Amino acid sequence: MAAQPLLRLTNISRHYGAIQALRGASFEIGRGEVMGLVGENGAGKSTMVKIIGGFDHGFTGEYFYDGEVRHFKSPTVAEQVGISIAQQELSLIPTLSVAENIFLAGDGVPVFASRGYLAKKAKPFLEEVGLGHVDPLRNTARLSVGEQHLVEVARLIAHNPQVLILDEPTAALGETDSIRILDMVNRLKERGKSVIYVSHRMDEIFKICDRITVLRDGESQAPRAAADMDVNSLVELMLGFELGDMYPKRKPVTRSAPALKVRKLWPDGILEPISFDVYPGEILGLAGQLGSGTSEILGAIAGSTRTRGGTLNYKGKDFLPSRPKEAIEHGIAYCSEDRKYDGLFLGRPIMENLSAPALETISNRGFLSGSKERASTTENAVKFTVDPKRLPQEAGVLSGGNQQKVALGKWLSISPEVILVNEPTRGVDVGARAEIYQILRGLADQGAAIVVASTDIQEITNLPDRIISFYRGVLVGELALEEMTSANILEQITDPFHEAGIAVSGKAS
Amino acid sequence: MTDATAPSGEALNIIQRITRDYSPLVIAMVSLFLIVFVAGAVLTDDFLTWFNVKTIIRDAALVGIMAIGLTFVTLSGNFFLLSMKEIAALSIICFATLMGAEWNQWGSPGADPTTYSLAMTFLVAFAATMVIATIAGALQGALIGLGGNPIVVTLGAAGLFFGIGSWWSDNLVVSYRRPHGAEWLGTGSFIGDIPNITVAFVIIAIVAELTLRYTTFGRQVYLVGANRAAGRATGHENFGMAIKCCIIASLCAAFVAVAFSGQVSSAHVNYFSSEFGSSGDMTIMVIAIVMVGGNSIMGGYGSTLRTSLAAVFISSIDNMMVLNGFNSGARVLAVGLMIVFSIVVFALVRRGSRSVE
Repeated sequence: MAAQPLLRLTNISRHYGAIQALRGASFEIGRGEVMGLVGENGAGKSTMVKIIGGFDHGFTGEYFYDGEVRHFKSPTVAEQVGISIAQQELSLIPTLSVAENIFLAGDGVPVFASRGYLAKKAKPFLEEVGLGHVDPLRNTARLSVGEQHLVEVARLIAHNPQVLILDEPTAALGETDSIRILDMVNRLKERGKSVIYVSHRMDEIFKICDRITVLRDGESQAPRAAADMDVNSLVELMLGFELGDMYPKRKPVTRSAPALKVRKLWPDGILEPISFDVYPGEILGLAGQLGSGTSEILGAIAGSTRTRGGTLNYKGKDFLPSRPKEAIEHGIAYCSEDRKYDGLFLGRPIMENLSAPALETISNRGFLSGSKERASTTENAVKFTVDPKRLPQEAGVLSGGNQQKVALGKWLSISPEVILVNEPTRGVDVGARAEIYQILRGLADQGAAIVVASTDIQEITNLPDRIISFYRGVLVGELALEEMTSANILEQITDPFHEAGIAVSGKAS
Repeated sequence: MTDATAPSGEALNIIQRITRDYSPLVIAMVSLFLIVFVAGAVLTDDFLTWFNVKTIIRDAALVGIMAIGLTFVTLSGNFFLLSMKEIAALSIICFATLMGAEWNQWGSPGADPTTYSLAMTFLVAFAATMVIATIAGALQGALIGLGGNPIVVTLGAAGLFFGIGSWWSDNLVVSYRRPHGAEWLGTGSFIGDIPNITVAFVIIAIVAELTLRYTTFGRQVYLVGANRAAGRATGHENFGMAIKCCIIASLCAAFVAVAFSGQVSSAHVNYFSSEFGSSGDMTIMVIAIVMVGGNSIMGGYGSTLRTSLAAVFISSIDNMMVLNGFNSGARVLAVGLMIVFSIVVFALVRRGSRSVE
């Protein structure tokens, strides 16, 4: 680089107790550049971001900003010199209006300002992030999650930052909102701002980043131009070895007798009753964006979401579970999309997590059998490549990928024949992701019927044997294996009726 | 990946296991408590006498049994029953009324009561008290299980139970004659000079701990308490759990009421508001014990063993202060300090332990 980088960190080390989060890592970003920051969970991305944003000042190494040595004592100081960070978690106040949220910190506006004045001042920032159509006086809670993320960014832009850090901005978003975020990043870049983009999504990284910095085990690779790399070489850099094919080979599925027949199921959030069959040995994909109703369908089959009606036919019996307990008794397992909310007992040992759905199989007349529990949980831990020595540890100390494996692995204890998985790999690093795909495929090969709902377009294209797609609560259609291309799926889940006129073809990878 | 490189495996001595399982803060706090305790014990005359030790455990027994029952509610994530003393008040009125009731005297009129007639009177009164406590617990548990806020539900229930108790007894002292069938529990001792109530406390503490550790029900208590949503998703619902735990707590309160009534041969709705512990209020005292034991207010973490030890600990500190001539204000202050201290320490520890990826 000829010009001096705007922000440069060299030889950064940071350890928490015995854990070395960063060892001599370096990072730099030039003016008007979009720098991708990638790495597996635990590679040190979050630590790096925290150090850059001034949240963490217990590091060693040099920190140059605009040619000067800096060591920010707090995020406020970093913000004043122009470094803003958008966290994964929203920090908006949902009961206030959009404009009030944007000027929450109160700078740049008089002490007493009318709502109309705030709205007028907020408008340009909203336009900047692509929310020109949103009324600034609208209640923030009434916006979609994606729009709220954009409002959060608008608030940061109101501080006029030089460097904007986006930490997994699209992790919780559907395809349309993600596209908005990417457009916004491009606009910021045109205006000469620098953006640090942290993401697990390879397609996004390649779409918007100029250069990419890879972190692995706390060490950094020299940044490389995105144009010189492809997904495989990037993954290889992240993992340190070649991944091979992440998605396991499909085997031909004979669809004779369905394992589960869903008839006229009508969950809240779905416009009309839907019916479909799942066959043993196949992975059925439910494709759809956030809010398309796929989560509600899985939840309804598992008894955790309210339904207006419908029946399931499973092993010759007709029923509709009204609570998860009934579904579990029938042998239907459901792994929800939010493992921290209802997938894991974070404060309890991993062993208790793995045996939670099947306490009766490890107990005699109400008394737990320690040996049975150890035997069955060790077996499941090994299947999911979780170190059995870690069984007594709290589930909360595991990394995201391992947590997801435990959340999914606990269902093996009931030997389910129907497994429903919502977002199998959200917030999971590439290595664990491949393992989860292998496990799901292995279960299907053993005869389980698996239904996967996902908003990740790569995953939904490459994992399932068959796809049913949804758009805003309407079943759009079914795609057989031959028709399953990203372009086809994207068209069905973003604009099946050709209303919006979004050019889809260019976005398919 | 913030996995601590904790030594896992077999050959660990006790100190290594303690440093692995507990954070330095907790170890420091427990050590501090122990040092205070030992220093106090050495410096206080007459503290380490057999008589005094018996007194301490005996004092701890009544509040301790109630606290063990309440621990189930807290561990299952249903906060506290703020109606503990009112359940006990209703129970003691019920028990004493039936003990004195004309129709419940089983011997021939005029003659001296036989062991059989005393036992029958006691059993009928005891059974009725337990039935009432079960209903009281189930009612609160059902309301909490349906989604009622535990504070509001149990405050309301407290008024209800106290009202019934005081209406029933006309707000008078209900007394019954000695000899009666509850003396063995109130003041008797079968094993040497160890009071039976102390033995009951020890037995209940052991049974409760074993239940939590080794039964399916105990595991469910922890799981539901640790994460209610995940509990529901894995087939363990809070509705049944709240009812069961509230019944356990109510039964413990009723048992304490029976034992106390046995001591004094009488009952009054205010017995548990004024005569107990240093703070003078049974509910507060019981909650204090659960908190000092380091049980998580949010549920899912803790044990009845900790609760039992906390009961004995608070009781000994109280006893030590009495022997050293502190007035009741200072003793309330001490209990308050212990609660604040342990809540802060455990809150800090919990915040550190759940790492985010």
